Amino acid sequence: MTPGTMQGMIQDSMMTETDPQVAKSPEVALAVRNLNFYYGENHALHDISVDFPARRVTAMIGPSGCGKSTLLRVFNRMYDLYPGQRATGEVIFDGRNVLDRDLDLNILRARVGMVFQKPTPFPMSIYDNIAFGVRLHEKMNKADMDARVQDVLTRVALWNEVRDRLNAPASGLSGGQQQRLCIARSIATRPEVLLLDEPTSALDPISTARIEELLDELKEEFTIAIVTHNMQQAARCADQVAFFYMGRLIEVDSADRMFTNPKQQQTQDYITGRFG
Amino acid sequence: MWWLRLPDNARFSSQSFSRMTLATATQTEKARDKAGVSPNGSRRSGPDTAFHLLVAASALLVLVVLGGLVVLMGVGGSQAFRTFGLGFAFHDVWNPVADLYGAWAPLFGTIVSTLIGVAIALPLAFGTAFWLTAMAPPRIAAIVGTAVQLLAAVPSIIFGMWGFFTIVPFMARTVQPFLTHHFKHVPGIRFIIHGAPFGTGLMTAGLVLAVMIAPFMTAVMRDVFAAMPNMLRESAYGLGATRWDVMWKVVVPWSRSGMIGAIVLGMGRALGETMAVTFVIGNVTAVGWSLFAPRSTVASLIALQFPESPAGSLRLSALLALGFILMLLSFASLALARMLRGDTK
Repeated sequence: MTPGTMQGMIQDSMMTETDPQVAKSPEVALAVRNLNFYYGENHALHDISVDFPARRVTAMIGPSGCGKSTLLRVFNRMYDLYPGQRATGEVIFDGRNVLDRDLDLNILRARVGMVFQKPTPFPMSIYDNIAFGVRLHEKMNKADMDARVQDVLTRVALWNEVRDRLNAPASGLSGGQQQRLCIARSIATRPEVLLLDEPTSALDPISTARIEELLDELKEEFTIAIVTHNMQQAARCADQVAFFYMGRLIEVDSADRMFTNPKQQQTQDYITGRFG
Repeated sequence: MWWLRLPDNARFSSQSFSRMTLATATQTEKARDKAGVSPNGSRRSGPDTAFHLLVAASALLVLVVLGGLVVLMGVGGSQAFRTFGLGFAFHDVWNPVADLYGAWAPLFGTIVSTLIGVAIALPLAFGTAFWLTAMAPPRIAAIVGTAVQLLAAVPSIIFGMWGFFTIVPFMARTVQPFLTHHFKHVPGIRFIIHGAPFGTGLMTAGLVLAVMIAPFMTAVMRDVFAAMPNMLRESAYGLGATRWDVMWKVVVPWSRSGMIGAIVLGMGRALGETMAVTFVIGNVTAVGWSLFAPRSTVASLIALQFPESPAGSLRLSALLALGFILMLLSFASLALARMLRGDTK
């Protein structure tokens, strides 16, 4: 690919962002360009190019196996753990290509946090679950750590529920509390981007609602990419929505337009529940 | 070691189990509907009762066999216990000529060689299992994994002969002269390496035991690590943790009970191992701290002296008493494991 066409593509994608809400914030946290992803021989993502605006929620929707989770796992190079998985193209984050071989993965992952489908508390106390990630990257005294733990737990609205049992095992919390703890754990390392892979799929409606409220507050500080199977969730939480189908990005637009007036027939069919 | 409950990843196994039973229940119901038999249908009760009795009987057989073993060893060894009292376990004389018997020498040999074996095998097994599950390329992991299973299936007598022809000469010609030359004047170490370079002894036995039990422990630990949800591992990596952090702070605490299970499994095998140890331990019923002098273990002593002990003799009774103590030792290691796991059931 020549520099000229790359330039053209970036301009194209900027020009499609005519929605006022997205246009207000032209700053791009993650810029994906011509991304291809392979599980061994299986070509899972085809030529994806999309921007993730900073301090906005971008929801990725599409039927199972369409590649949305795969894209998420590219952003923090999680796929690197598994031999045979590889990506080509570019994901520009803070001026650097995330796919660069010599990128420091530990630093990348501290700056790009991730929350999974199910709560994954570590086998340690509530306090240590938060401190674990912080200790990996920062040296701080007990008082500062206490303050950090209280701060992040307060922000996920968990502090009042657990303040008296910070040293109890995290596994004793309810599912919804555990998931909020996992979000607190991710933001404790002060990342810029938060990746959420169907974070509420294992939770009851009330816990789900609390997490969604939380996203609304967190987006003031973090760029959020969320994979979801729940159309209402995407409509409620997201500023921008990207629809994937069979490893291709079919359409990306502001949430308002995506759900009221999608451009592509496939998108229309999917969001109205005709398939998927 | 049928009595050892393998490391329970209870959460997973019980979940999948209940799912399984649910599925089976539904199937049975469907089958019943088809056959037109009521849930309490009499057509089933005959074979059902027979089946019920059969499985209950095989479960009860376990208790009978266990009880039988304890009684046989206890009654057989009672003559020795009566003659020497409970001090039998701690007397360090084993003298068939004078008809004086004490269990301490072989007991000491069993305990120390087992501890050496476990201490060497544990890091080996842990490292192999962790590498196989977390780091190895799949194809190589498959090859090494199969090799581990093959190694675990090698009969112990093969290890005995290998130890006799390879480890014993190596210890006698290389390790012992080296240690003696360099450490014979170092106070804290001298007494451990003291002795003529025979090549046999507790260290050699411990090494052979380690090679024997490491594959077992690896196989168990590998299952334990593999049962850990990928998502949990990824969560740790996702925070920017190194493999070292993930291993020590997440994988090890998570798989603690399973790893204790693996250790006990290896320990149980090492405690009772007979043939491999008999080949390399030297078979001298003496007590001492030197790891390089010929010693004996409970199992090797029983195996060697059993054929020479006439029925009804005090010597035979002493050997059975040794067996009784060995069984207690195994039970104690199991109890310890349960305690460490916080498993009071």
